[in-house]
Amino acid sequence: MPASKLIFIFLLAGGAGFFALNVQRLVRYMRLGHAENRTDAPLTRLKNVLTIGIGQTKIFRDPIAGAMHATIFWGFMVLTAGTIEILIQGVFTGFSYALFLPRPVFQLYAFSQDVFALLVLGAIAFAFYRRLVLHPKRLEGDKLEHTDALIILSLIGGLMVTLLLTNACQYVLDPSAIGPEKAISRGLAMAIGAVDPQPVVAARVFWWLHVLLVLAFLNYLPYSKHLHVATSLINVFFSNTSGPGQKGVMRAMDLEADVEQFGASDVEHLTWKNLLDGYSCTECGRCTAACPANITGKPLSPRKIVINTRQRLMEKGPVVTGDRMEFLHPALLHGEGDDAGATTATEVLTEHRLLDTYITEEELWACTSCRACVQECPVSIDQLDIINEMRRNLVLSESRFPEEVQPAFESLERNGSPWAFSPADRANWAEGMDIPTMAEVVARGERPDVLFWVGCMGSFDDRAKKITVAFARILKACKINFAILGQEEHCHGDPARRLGNEYLYQMLAKDTIGTLDRYEVKTIVTSCPHCFHQLGNEFPQLGGNYEVIHHSTFIERLLQDARMPLQSGEGKGLTVAYHDSCYLGRYNDIYDAPRETLRRALPVVDLIEPKRTRDRGLCCGAGGGRMFMEERVGKRINVERTEELLATGAETIAVACPFCMTMISDGVKAAQSDVPVLDIAEVVAGQLVSS
Amino acid sequence: MKIAVCIKRTPDSESRFRIAASSASIDETGLKFDIDDFASYAVEVALQLNEKQGPGETVAYAVGPDAVQETLRKAMSMGVDRAVQLKTDAVPYDGLAVAKALAAELKSGGYDLILFGKHAFDTSAGIVGTATAELLGVSCVTAATKLDIANGRGTARRELEGVAEIVEFPLPAVVTIDEGIARPRYPSLKGIMSAKKKPLETRPAQLGNVRVTVKSMALPPDRPPGRIIGEGTAAVPELVRLLQTEAKVL
Amino acid sequence: MANVLVFAETRANTLRKVALESVTAARALADSTGGGEVHALVAGSPGIAAVAEQLGQHGADLVVVVEHAGLANFDREVVAATLAARAKSGSYRIVVVGFSAQGRDIGPRVAAKLDVPIVTDVVEASVTGGAITVKHPAYANKVIVTLEINAPLAVLSVRPGAFMVATAPHAVRTEMMAPAAEPSASKVVVKELIEGGKGKLDLGEAPVIVAGGRGLKAPENFKLAEDLAAAFGNAAVGATRAVTDEGWRPHSDQIGQTGRQVSPQLYIAVGISGAIQHLAGMRSSRTIVAINKDKDAPIFKVADYGIVGDVLEVLPVLTQAVREAKAAH
Repeated sequence: MPASKLIFIFLLAGGAGFFALNVQRLVRYMRLGHAENRTDAPLTRLKNVLTIGIGQTKIFRDPIAGAMHATIFWGFMVLTAGTIEILIQGVFTGFSYALFLPRPVFQLYAFSQDVFALLVLGAIAFAFYRRLVLHPKRLEGDKLEHTDALIILSLIGGLMVTLLLTNACQYVLDPSAIGPEKAISRGLAMAIGAVDPQPVVAARVFWWLHVLLVLAFLNYLPYSKHLHVATSLINVFFSNTSGPGQKGVMRAMDLEADVEQFGASDVEHLTWKNLLDGYSCTECGRCTAACPANITGKPLSPRKIVINTRQRLMEKGPVVTGDRMEFLHPALLHGEGDDAGATTATEVLTEHRLLDTYITEEELWACTSCRACVQECPVSIDQLDIINEMRRNLVLSESRFPEEVQPAFESLERNGSPWAFSPADRANWAEGMDIPTMAEVVARGERPDVLFWVGCMGSFDDRAKKITVAFARILKACKINFAILGQEEHCHGDPARRLGNEYLYQMLAKDTIGTLDRYEVKTIVTSCPHCFHQLGNEFPQLGGNYEVIHHSTFIERLLQDARMPLQSGEGKGLTVAYHDSCYLGRYNDIYDAPRETLRRALPVVDLIEPKRTRDRGLCCGAGGGRMFMEERVGKRINVERTEELLATGAETIAVACPFCMTMISDGVKAAQSDVPVLDIAEVVAGQLVSS
Repeated sequence: MKIAVCIKRTPDSESRFRIAASSASIDETGLKFDIDDFASYAVEVALQLNEKQGPGETVAYAVGPDAVQETLRKAMSMGVDRAVQLKTDAVPYDGLAVAKALAAELKSGGYDLILFGKHAFDTSAGIVGTATAELLGVSCVTAATKLDIANGRGTARRELEGVAEIVEFPLPAVVTIDEGIARPRYPSLKGIMSAKKKPLETRPAQLGNVRVTVKSMALPPDRPPGRIIGEGTAAVPELVRLLQTEAKVL
Repeated sequence: MANVLVFAETRANTLRKVALESVTAARALADSTGGGEVHALVAGSPGIAAVAEQLGQHGADLVVVVEHAGLANFDREVVAATLAARAKSGSYRIVVVGFSAQGRDIGPRVAAKLDVPIVTDVVEASVTGGAITVKHPAYANKVIVTLEINAPLAVLSVRPGAFMVATAPHAVRTEMMAPAAEPSASKVVVKELIEGGKGKLDLGEAPVIVAGGRGLKAPENFKLAEDLAAAFGNAAVGATRAVTDEGWRPHSDQIGQTGRQVSPQLYIAVGISGAIQHLAGMRSSRTIVAINKDKDAPIFKVADYGIVGDVLEVLPVLTQAVREAKAAH
């Protein structure tokens, strides 16, 4: 066996072994996280891998960067086959897929190698141009991040160049070795042949360079943010952000468990999946670019949350697992924000933690839970899950939260609504409307078909009460057999849950389930997306199972079935901009029902879309309990959003959520505009015959 | 420091009240009870003082039926070390009788400081703290909006009727706490869990002779519905007249 | 026939309004028993006896004058001891104090010293046979409690404003009395007095609040709200969240769910529409006045008196009217 072959085998084994060592180390750190089953619904998971992963669907949400990335990604998939062939050739001289592949297939393969090498090169060139000339805002990382990116781009570029040059040299030496399908390599060979008609040395140099680059690339990954090359498909498989399970459902929590820690203040309080998210983040910044808090100048950046999680894991993992292989420690898996600067192991364990050292309380409370970050992430990272777990720790373990949140908690506890209003006033809106309560209907020995869950905003807020009345009028006009809970309704606890107060949430939720089950409620309709999400998607965790319908869907169905006595006239020609509620849209994929409702109710409506719309819609700023907090830093989110809506030139802004109503109405006032803000129910009720 | 905090259980102030059939008490059905707001400020002050001054003990006292145990647990979930219930079927309207029961209990407690809320929401009488101080013969400062303790002496700020005063007093002392002094902490789940294990003693309340009794309770006449009295500056004279004669606030 | 002892509150040797109300209440109580005497105790620095005549005008038969150089400022320990000593020495049926800052301090002390029952925040009182019946608003004025006191002597602390000052001229005698305790021996010592005018009145303390909303249109227009507050003399200025968010007023001025929760005697909402977040912080105010240009604004639903109009026009006129009303008073 020639010495070169021995050297090659030695290098190959060494490279693979070193990589395996790193993988094993990263897996060991990842296992510091809680156990969690993520293998349910394997078919859906596989489908996600095929679409989001291999199909790159989410990458294409940014069409230009998307095309660039997809070219490199698909190129990699194709070229990996070639790389394997080359590595095998290194051990068994003369090996070729041609030995067992039918000729046309092999030709196609050979053609793909050549073409994709060139396509990838082109994409890499564009990537360099983007980084060095265009400087997109979301890629503005620190110096280390830039260096890392440039190294990786150079490595990939090098791989492509050496691959093509190796092929070209081989063709010069032996024209039969390379078929006509590798036209690019052949073209290149003409140039090489002109310089050196017998490029024996060059062929060997390029081959060796290519092989060495492959091994270098492989072993560089664990030290780089480009670790995502290895982890993203795995991450997509295990993610719950695109189903299976339900989107945005907060993790169930056992409060009876005899534990010292509630929620997460450090990496080991998260699950292994949260930690895998850290490995999968390539810092593209799409999440942060979509984050309403970040856009308006708040300290929150979802990307930083994920990077910090990984950074802390890289700091704590080696100490906890007793990793002594200092040389394995990642130098390039850098962080974001201030450097924690730990030196000793004791410091790492006792003085540092994920919360405070890396992620501040202010960042966590700035989140509106709008899910824009989760929606954008091309590799299905769940930034919000980490934020929610850390909020739980703040409230349940440390009792730390903005002081203005306390009245909301106390009112929820005492009055069953986040505002200090008397429960006795809950059904005041219904006075004179002849709407029965559940208790009254059941006392008559009857059961209504539908329970109208009014919600706290709809019960107490003067503006939202008008929505409630409008929707009740629609129900009555359509002769729906419905009832309300009246004074027996109280908050289901969702605001408390979003604010991290799982204890208060479960108290209120279990009580609500008790009431609903006592009346054997089957179907619920509500005009609040937050109630809709909570009752329908999260109550099952606590044993409450109901069919819950948002009023947008309910009204749309009524219109579809032509059950509504609408004015037949032409109606006013009206230009309407609809603002998507996060809990309706990104949480529940309801984008069309409210739009369709407007179209059907107003025959000559002209729907126009704001700049950010549907699943890219910008939050109104009220979600995640932000409604009950001050907004002191940066521009107000509702003002930003309202400006976008007003910029459409719409004559009316339509919403489908009482929280959005408050925020957008305030935004319109702040803009000193008099464009009316209406709930879709109000628009429809205005078209009822009786009105 | 050894600090006692005397707390009361009161219904939420936003409640809609009804009178019980006996007409001698309010109808408690549907009412949410909790530690009185002023009492919770007192608990917070006690906890902060002991946190600042190093080792000490904070003990909560409440006079009342077994329902007050929940209120005492709440205080312990905030961080109070232990609690004592002075049991009686109902808290009498006779503030002096309540003060006697507390004084009898606190006399031998060796407390440096005894804190109360300025008054409680339900009666807003403001009797018990001051009367307890008098019965114990210790210094008394009411409606403190700031409180510092150093070298066995206390300094407090009071803000009343447009005048603020800084007072100094020796310990032991009774101090009643006004709002604005500190925001009471929200118990963490950890605190709630550990409160379940903290000691809560129950002893009969030595009220003595109760001389103030409720004859009846009634709801005040309904607040007249809001009305718009006029438009623009022309309505001002009528507003001033109403403020003087009807609302009597001018 | 039963005598009533009343503490007539002074500040800087001047009678306070609550003193005259207390004497009025005491007069009525004494009369209701068939004509007992009203004895008013005043305590102050030398010269305090000069207030006797004024007390006589409102029904005092005897003024007990406690004069001491150490009583220039109110000393609760000395006054309580002296009032209790006087109550013990005479044959009184009732001791009346005001439910004011001073009265709140001395009432319970006197009751404890004498071991007699006390009821505070009294708005109505009568003596019938062996029992004293009083009315006392409870639960933030949402319930009126009628109480019966069964004791030969009791302390009543009367709510300021509940007993309208009445004139009932009586020939008044004076009697000097030495303080029952040495002022310099008081345990609690006042180190510093900060008069109201210097510090801003706190929102939680102010009996009157003028709160401004976005309807004021610009930060400089808050001057109009401040002028109105100044006209009242005992008012503080608050704001809505929209206004503090805009930075027109500091966040500490915010009234509402996420700011201060207040319940003053009088709340004047100017240019405030009445969002849920704001209502949660002021709904329990005793009397609410709203001035807003939108007649459908939710604030009018909770307001006792509403004026529909431009706040920038209405405010100066209202300020002038309040000034005049105050001056006439």
